Amino acid sequence: MINLLFFGRLGDFAKQVPLTIEASTPAEIRELLAADFPDLVRELNQPQVLVSVNKMIVGWDQPLFDGSEVAFLPPVTGG
Amino acid sequence: MTDRIRIQQQDFDLAEEYQLLRQTDSAVGAVVTFTGLVRDFEIGSQVGTQVGTEADPQGQSSTKNPIDILSLQHYPGMTESLLETIVDQANQRWNLIATTVIHRVGDLAPKDQIVLVGVASQHRADAFEAAQFLMDYLKTQATFWKSVRRNGEQQWIESKASDQQAAARWDSSDDT
Repeated sequence: MINLLFFGRLGDFAKQVPLTIEASTPAEIRELLAADFPDLVRELNQPQVLVSVNKMIVGWDQPLFDGSEVAFLPPVTGG
Repeated sequence: MTDRIRIQQQDFDLAEEYQLLRQTDSAVGAVVTFTGLVRDFEIGSQVGTQVGTEADPQGQSSTKNPIDILSLQHYPGMTESLLETIVDQANQRWNLIATTVIHRVGDLAPKDQIVLVGVASQHRADAFEAAQFLMDYLKTQATFWKSVRRNGEQQWIESKASDQQAAARWDSSDDT
């Protein structure tokens, strides 16, 4: 199982998304969510959205393993 | 190098943090601190303006629509390691003796302190430049997200191109 996290404004679009999913890459997660959560996936497709696996920024084709934590990160606005 | 990185809900005491930087080492000849505060119209210019709102009948805060609360979310674990990376980069680029980065999370009100960056070095140029670098990188790379609430409505703050440009200037800079 892959654990999912959505930060910032992405969280507003992901309130009904399951907390875990079976997938082999972040890109596949995006594909799997497209049917039920088109608004969320439209946001995830924005080029400035980054993805991390186990708290490291990675590419969308990064292989996932059981227990991986995948987070979707909109542009940051701290400071 | 003495580096202190904290993410916390509670406020911080600038004078106390300054003293810690100052007392780190007798070689310290310069301390620069930057404190970021919550403004009352964090995204007013981007969401249109309302003149003479109930909260501001005299228009004291010009034409901006004042916020009630600024809320800061972060990604625990990842934020700390990103801040460590940013501080490491500053230590590689400048000759620093001590660095402090404190970033608050949770709900904050206008005029509250959000962030402190403090740098102690032998000479002022290192401290000035490193403090700016740390803020520019923190704003564009550390996993914090701001939202504001006004009249019960929450709105996420959009990232600014000007912040990206401010951070990008360090990419090509070799005048350290």
